[in-house]
Parts: sequence; C-alpha cells; structure tokens
Amino acid sequence: MPLISGRIQTLLQDPQATKVLATADKLGSPHIILDSTITSNEQGQIIYLELIETSQTNVNLVNSIWFKRKVAIQLSGTGEVYLIKGYPVYSIISGPLFEHYYKLCAARNPEFDLSTVWVIEPDEVSEDTYEARKSKERAEHPLVMHLDRLAK
Amino acid sequence: MMCAVSFQASGQTSELTLQEVLEKYNDVSPFVIIKSDITRRSFVYTDRALQALDKDKHQYQQRVLIGSNGDEHAAVPVSLLLRDGTSIIAMPSPGARNPYVVDRIDGKLYITDQGRVVEEVEYWYKPHYYDQFTSSGKPMWQVASARPQRLDIDPNSHCHFWSGGNGCKFCNINANSTRSHKERNMEKQLKAQDVYETVKEALKQPGAFTNLKMSSGSILSGQEIFDDEVDMYIEMLQAAGDNFKERKFPSTLVASAFNERQLAKIYENTGLMTYTSDIEIPNEALFAWICKGKHKEVGYREWKRRIIAAVDIFGAGNVSSGIVGGCEMAKPHGIKDEDEALKIVLEEAEDFASQGVSMVHCVWVPMQGSAFHNQVTPSLEYYVQLAKGLSGIRQKYRLNIDMDNYRKCGNHPDTDLDRGIGGATFQCH
Repeated sequence: MPLISGRIQTLLQDPQATKVLATADKLGSPHIILDSTITSNEQGQIIYLELIETSQTNVNLVNSIWFKRKVAIQLSGTGEVYLIKGYPVYSIISGPLFEHYYKLCAARNPEFDLSTVWVIEPDEVSEDTYEARKSKERAEHPLVMHLDRLAK
Repeated sequence: MMCAVSFQASGQTSELTLQEVLEKYNDVSPFVIIKSDITRRSFVYTDRALQALDKDKHQYQQRVLIGSNGDEHAAVPVSLLLRDGTSIIAMPSPGARNPYVVDRIDGKLYITDQGRVVEEVEYWYKPHYYDQFTSSGKPMWQVASARPQRLDIDPNSHCHFWSGGNGCKFCNINANSTRSHKERNMEKQLKAQDVYETVKEALKQPGAFTNLKMSSGSILSGQEIFDDEVDMYIEMLQAAGDNFKERKFPSTLVASAFNERQLAKIYENTGLMTYTSDIEIPNEALFAWICKGKHKEVGYREWKRRIIAAVDIFGAGNVSSGIVGGCEMAKPHGIKDEDEALKIVLEEAEDFASQGVSMVHCVWVPMQGSAFHNQVTPSLEYYVQLAKGLSGIRQKYRLNIDMDNYRKCGNHPDTDLDRGIGGATFQCH
C-alpha cells in the first residue's frame, strides 16, 4: 500500500492546495519554499520541479540525495493539513522524463527554464491539523496539560 | 592526512575497498566516489544488461576524441548516469583487471561489484538529431556527440603533436581516429556547413543541452604555432553560432594554449564564452616527459602562462585547466608516493587558482592505443582526496566553476562536489 494515496494524492494533484517544501543545508540550516506545482507520480512519489539550478533548495536537495537526509512537505487544503517526510531518490537532468517536465514548465510559463526534476520517496505521512496533533498529544502524553482545562 | 595505502604485515600494500573509502570519507558525495572508482576500474556488461539497450532510445556510438567511437556491429551503451544526475565518462575496457559489472535486476540497471549491488544506473539517451543526416549526407552523430546535457563538436580528431612520437603518453586520439576512419569511414575533419546544420537540428529538442563544447587535436601549422587551429575554431564556432539569436552563447573551447593575440581573436570573432587549455600534468619535469611535444614546442611555463593570460580576456571563473588525475604517478618517472603526488598537484592547482584559473581533474584511464596503456592508476582514496582538494581550493579562492560543472562536462569528480556546496554562489573576482 503506497504511503501517498486517496485524499493526499488528490491534494497533491490540486494546484490550489498549499504545498511547502522544507530542506536543510549541509550544516543543518533550514530553508523552506512555497510551491503549488509540487505533485506526485503514478508510483506515489513526490515530484518537485526545480527551476533555479543554484537555488538553496536545489543545493540542499543535492546534499539530501548524497547523504540520505530527509526533506519535508506540508500539504494543505480546506480544513486539512498533511505532513510528508521522505528522501530525494532521483535528480533527473536529462532524458525523456526530463523533457516531459521541461515542456510542462514551458507551457506554464515560457520563461521557465527547468533545472532538475526531483523525485522524493515518501517515508512518513501524518495528518498535521491542530486537531490531529492535539489528539495525538492527549493520547500519548495524558500528563502534559494545564489543570484548568480539567476544572468543573 | 595520510592517504591511500596501508601496509600489511607481509610488507605488501593493500588499498582500501570502495566500502572502506565510502565509510572513511562520509562527508564526500558517495556518487562522486562511486563514479571515480567505476572510471578507474572500468566495467563490463552482462548479457541481460546489454539486452536493455534500446538502439532507438540509447546512445551506442559516439564521436569522441579520446577513448573509442564504438562499434556498430556490437552495440554497447556509450556510458552511464547515476541517480543524482552524475555522469560517468567511461567505457568498458577489455584489459580491465577488476571491473565493475552492469547488470539488469528486476527490470532496473545496477552497477555491481562482486555480485553486490552498488548503485542504480541508467544508459545515456540518444538525442533526437542523432539519426539524421546533414545535406552532405553526413550522419549527424558523427558531427556532434552528446553528453547528457552537452553538445560536443570536435572538428579535428588528429593531433599534430603525435608526429615523431611526441603525443601525450596518456592519450589515444590519433589511434582512435585512424581506426574509426579505416573501419567506419569517419572523417577526421568536420565541415562548417555540417556543424551548422547539426547544431540547428540539436537545438530543436527542448531542454536537451546546456552547453556547446568544441575540442580538437592540436594543429601546429600557421604563421605562428596554432594559428591554423585558431582559424579552424573561428570558422566552426561561427557556423555553430549562426544558430543562436544572441552573439554570445554558453560554450567552451578545450584547445591548445593560445597566446593573447590568438585568444583575443577567437573571443572577438565568435560567441565563445569560456576557455580551457589542459596543463595535463601539473609539474614541469613530468610534463616534459609525458607531454613531450607540448613541452618541446611551447614549454610548460609558457603553456601555463598562456592559460592564466586568458583570464584577462574571458574573466575569472571562465577559464579552467584540466589535469589527467593520477597520471603524475605513471611509471617509471612519476611520483612514487601518493601523499607527495597529491601535495605537488594541489600546490600547483592553488597557484593557478590564485590567478583566476580553476584546475579540474578527470580520472586517468590507461587506454588502449595510448603509450601508457599498461600502467596502473593510483588508489581510489587518492582520487577522493584529489577531488576534495581541488574543490576546496576553488572555495578558498571563490572561483565559480559553472563553465565545467557536473552538467556541463561531467568528467570531473571535483566539480561534481562543487554542486553540493552551491558552487555557483561563489563570486568571481
């Protein structure tokens, strides 16, 4: 059963959904970008299209694929938020798949000069709304709360 | 840091294995380490892997200056690409002592070592223009070859330094071009019209190329040495350049060490943006032995001076010089100790960098047809330290290597490493 399916897969295909990609550099310094074009492929892998060869995100993704470090994607639509963590597994810079996405980018905006097609293999997926996180906290850490919350 | 070889009780030396090197240098891209070792040790294909070659999709023959142009009767993939986009510029070597094996497992291609999977690989794809012909009937793949993101045009595959046995000892250029001419009727010299038409066709493929590179064997003739080579490049670069709407376009020339007048002439009359002249062996005494013709006709110091002088014309970050990494240890006159060799190479690289020139290395492959075909390359650890050292020098001098990076060329483990530190964010002087 792929980690990415159902509602999450639908959100990944929705250009109106909010999609944030978080990466870290070689020293662990974080960096995030907002990119509504993040999507997924038929294998349930996430596709990120990097338009700037020397961007901080691209450099960070290079280090992630080299040293097997996770990146994170937060995905949100109306009333729902998901957190996906995974590993970059392919950095595609040539060949038929690259050409497919190169044309797709150019169709979106003729100025777009695609640098790299990043394929990210999901490793963890969780619901990330406040309600979901709070519910998990209550279940796993029942002693962690302010008492006035329990007052009559 | 001590490098490369450890001594066993028997007194024999033992190199670190790939796995040991990966563990020891865990701050270095494993893809770069694997690439270096595959190039160094070479590889072979299983029948299963060869069956995965699709002649409609993949490259199996290619015009190259050094190496082999392939054999149309025994289709073998031109080369390999790793998952992170790292190119491997290597081909199977019949004489390899301990080659890796490319195998097909569960529908995917892997490089394996002693039966163990090392990494997934992919064959190089064939660009759309490859099977087309120019108006003169020339197959376009014989006019321009293609690396994964680079268009290569080598207008003259005959080197005059070979006359009288003065060719560089690591190189097989004339042996390769003579064989290809004899067996496959591949011409050694290209025509400008063929170049124009091939580039025109290549540019029709969206996103296929990020750079155009030209290189050739040296031509010594002319009023002054290399004048005819300069004129040939101008003609060819103009023919290629006629296809671009802007006068200057991302391009590299890998050529003889031209003097300032010749460099200015090329720069002013073509769309060329960057220039490389390889010092090959960064040591005067070894250069005199290994690159005998170059030393005799120009000399190490003058060759180096001319490369540095090119910075005034092309700008810092737009001039590089290549070395055949490890060839400085060739027998019998090469440096015997790896630590000593590394020190000498990196000191000379730093001298270049301090004057605006990046030094880049390829992994020495003792090729058939070269004088050094029976030699043995240094250890894998030597190459890891060499790549780290050269990349570190560029960081120190804030030299940008966009002109020769992982995507532009793919033959330099050291510039592959720059990709992981945001190489292009360095400012030029």
